[in-house]
Amino acid sequence: MSYSVLSTPLLSILATTTSDKMVSPNLTQVGYSALLVLISIAISRFWKLPVAKDMAIGSVRTFAQLVAVGYALKIIFDIDSAWLIALVLIIMTLVGAHAASGSVREIRKSFPILFLAMSIGSLITIGLMSLLVIPFQASYIIPLGGMIISNSMNAAALSLTRLGADLSQQKLAVESALALGKTWQVATRSIVRESARTGMISILNFMKTVGIVALPGAMTGMILAGAEPLDAVYLQIIVAYMLLMAVTLTSIIAVAIAIRRFFTSYHQLIETDN
Amino acid sequence: MSEQAPLLSLNSLSREIKKRKILDNISFDFLAGKTYTIIGPSGAGKSSLLRLINRLDEPTDGTVLLNGKPAREYKPEHLRCQIGFLFQTPHLFEKTISDNLLFANRSLSIDEQKHLLEIVQINASRLHEPVPKLSVGEKQRVALARLLATKPLVALLDEPTSALDPSITEAIEQTIKEIINLTNLTVIMVTHNPDQALRMGGESLLLVDGKLIETGHVEHVINNPSTQLGRQYRSRDLL
Ligand SMILES: Nc1ncnc2c1ncn2[C@@H]1O[C@H](COP(=O)(O)OP(=O)(O)O)[C@@H](O)[C@H]1O
Ligand SMILES: [Mg+2]
Repeated sequence: MSYSVLSTPLLSILATTTSDKMVSPNLTQVGYSALLVLISIAISRFWKLPVAKDMAIGSVRTFAQLVAVGYALKIIFDIDSAWLIALVLIIMTLVGAHAASGSVREIRKSFPILFLAMSIGSLITIGLMSLLVIPFQASYIIPLGGMIISNSMNAAALSLTRLGADLSQQKLAVESALALGKTWQVATRSIVRESARTGMISILNFMKTVGIVALPGAMTGMILAGAEPLDAVYLQIIVAYMLLMAVTLTSIIAVAIAIRRFFTSYHQLIETDN
Repeated sequence: MSEQAPLLSLNSLSREIKKRKILDNISFDFLAGKTYTIIGPSGAGKSSLLRLINRLDEPTDGTVLLNGKPAREYKPEHLRCQIGFLFQTPHLFEKTISDNLLFANRSLSIDEQKHLLEIVQINASRLHEPVPKLSVGEKQRVALARLLATKPLVALLDEPTSALDPSITEAIEQTIKEIINLTNLTVIMVTHNPDQALRMGGESLLLVDGKLIETGHVEHVINNPSTQLGRQYRSRDLL
């Protein structure tokens, strides 16, 4: 699982420093960089790799999507209204929950669970952040919110996938405990813990290796934009802690809500026929 | 015969899965301290019936009464402690024998745990042995001891020897009979093997295709059935 969000170019927006080192590329430079795409396509052609078409489409999409996002962000930042920020965050959560529900095959109709868990996890984190460290401005909240939401999305999807898989694989263990007069809460205790932990694995691994294996995106963005390395580092630390909390809340909430679907009020495991 | 109030009554129990009746209108009274076998071909609904009695599944229709009180009115934890259930392939937790017994009943003393092991004929000195080291037969004995740990009135045993080597089948049967002697437990044992039912004695219920076809003394049900399906079962046509 990759931390693609951490390398989102949105993050360079966070770098508000205007030093003379600052790189601000224009369209001509972007045009020159397209040469790299042409070289990649040429090499693939030479090796007869069936990717040339995907490369072309991908490069055009990258351009179109990011330019569109750029204009959208510019408008949103200029307006800078709390309602607009909230609307954007809600749309991001809806889209994220929808994407994640497609990847969770183990639990049917997981969208409402994902949406609720991601909303609560992200809302609390963003709320605390804007109370404590980050100004409630579109140019801060939206990029950070995007990172929080997409990390929550991955965490919730992984947790729910694990939960569904474990409950069907360990049906016998769960029912053995139920048959001995245990409640479903007791019977599923270790499954619930493992599932919630699964959603947190990537952020925990990230925090262990950060800075050693690779420089994370938020930091890279700021440094490229001309910020002092130490400023970039502090921001990255804040981002990591923030993601940790969002992911922890979202994983636990997602699992806690989803597990109820699997049991009746009489503590019977419901047959789930996916 | 004196009229004894049944310990466990099944009243017109049915269970439907996706419009298919896997159990159809089952009624029967089980008396305390007696041994029953449920026989019938594979897919007849034997396991499904045990799951309804322990209420791991919900009947579509009908009621189960334990000591005259509808099962639904018991707390599930309480009901299932009184109606123990040994699955066809029991699942033990990968810790020690003692951990497994304590999981079932936290308040068991060491002496009580050792006593349970003696009942299932495992040397009491092995109480702290890890479960993964045990043989299949020993695991089955531990599963039986764990079932007894909640001090049930009824034990539902789903083909307790079907996963075992034939050479230890009779030893486990002996252990089950020993448990019955020592504890006055009401045993309801599923078997697809009529000979095993005959060895266990007591009463028998013949299930075919979700319906209760024959009931009565096991000798009668197996050797002298009164229905066409019963005779077919006897001639092994249904096995
Ligand atoms: N969860 C289930 N979903 C669908 N069909 C089931 C389910 N459980 C049992 N059945 C069906 O019910 C019938 C009875 O099954 P079962 O009680 O396991 O039979 P037995 O234990 O006598 O071999 C079988 O036809 C089986 O396929
Ligand atoms: Mg069965």
